[in-house]
Amino acid sequence: MTFTDDELVARSMGGDAESFNQLILRWERPIYALAYRVIGREEDARDVCQETFLRAFRALPGFKGQAKFSSWLYRIALNLCRDWIRRQRRAPVMQMPEGVEPGELIAETGPVESIEDLVSRRQLSALVEQAMALLPEEQRTAIILKEYHGMTFQEIADMQGCPLSTVKTRLYQGLTVLRRHLEKNGQLTPQLVKRS
Amino acid sequence: MNETFTCGDHGVLVSYLYDECAPDERRTISAHVAICSACAEELTALGATREQLALWSPPDAQLGFRIVSDAAPAPALQREKGPRVLRPPQWWRKPMPAWAQAAAAAAIFATGLTLGMTRGTVGGPERSAPLQASSVSSGADPSGPRTAAVTRADLAALEQRLRAEMRTQTRTVSAPVAAAPADARILEQVRAMINESEQRQSRELGRRTTEVVRDFDAQRSDDLARIERTIGQMDATTGVEVAQQRQMVNYLMRVSQRGQ
Ligand SMILES: [Zn+2]
Repeated sequence: MTFTDDELVARSMGGDAESFNQLILRWERPIYALAYRVIGREEDARDVCQETFLRAFRALPGFKGQAKFSSWLYRIALNLCRDWIRRQRRAPVMQMPEGVEPGELIAETGPVESIEDLVSRRQLSALVEQAMALLPEEQRTAIILKEYHGMTFQEIADMQGCPLSTVKTRLYQGLTVLRRHLEKNGQLTPQLVKRS
Repeated sequence: MNETFTCGDHGVLVSYLYDECAPDERRTISAHVAICSACAEELTALGATREQLALWSPPDAQLGFRIVSDAAPAPALQREKGPRVLRPPQWWRKPMPAWAQAAAAAAIFATGLTLGMTRGTVGGPERSAPLQASSVSSGADPSGPRTAAVTRADLAALEQRLRAEMRTQTRTVSAPVAAAPADARILEQVRAMINESEQRQSRELGRRTTEVVRDFDAQRSDDLARIERTIGQMDATTGVEVAQQRQMVNYLMRVSQRGQ
């Protein structure tokens, strides 16, 4: 039996901690991914993720269902990320992957992807991460919410508390910086562009 | 909506890129892109950039946060009111290292023994108290050693206990201390459990030896062969017990994994 978020919220409000644990199970990966991409540190992203659910649980009686539960969670998480960035007073720290162990690679992938492909995919991932770190926080967050969490312009505007047009500008400017950076590093060649 | 599209209207271009525009707006931009190579090129490049973005995946993290009610006592930890979200212990989802597997098996083995012993004590101080005969030892000499049957209720109780212990572990590791001391503490706990288990095993052996000696005293006329047979049965039963406990370990592994 699968409950909707709303049903689980209602049951949690009725004092059923297990229902809230189901909500955690459902949303902890996206929230962690959001936090990681915004602040760029694994350990701190986990702390943000944990704190998000703790705060959500405590604030549950005040949650009136005016927004989707997930939007509410995202908002809490983003506020925490913003606090973190303010505290650190610095851009996200990118964790560049160290030399990759071949054994680790074999364990992680099926037989389909060759090690060369995987290494290059990892390098590309690291390159994107590096490029994203160049963006101002608002642009980075807008792109993260759009690209990795599939939010609409309006949802991002609500989340960031800004007009719709600002969201579009942030996305455009962010994408343009990313494009230049990736081109400069040889990852966006005309060949690749044509292939897509 | 825009009747025409002018180069450099980035907002509209972004709407088109993410396919978040009205159909007529979409048609207008499509018509423009068909004749303007600059805009066409920009759209293609931004599209390719988006494809690159899709390659970025965060590192795998061990999550598995849970709200744990404060019903169970948590000494030495900050006593907050209300439930808490706790970080799972480091070892939780990783494959266990060999020493930890051995330790876990020892701990569960010890728990199994405790169950058997508890039955004995609960049944009364005298061994004459009726015990449920284990199905595996049925048909054996009734005066021989008997094993307590492990019922579903026992397993359920054991499961509850282990879950409680796991929750305690979770608390321990989530305490705001460095990872290394937490590991050391777990190691210490495991060592304590192993010691306890060894003590229990020797107590158990002592108990059984006493039984054999008592039998001997009570039936002086019995010859040595009878004792030998008793010891032989004891060995056999112990073997069966080990097998049962191995089964139990497997069951508990499954239960604890499913519990996630
Ligand atoms: Zn144009």
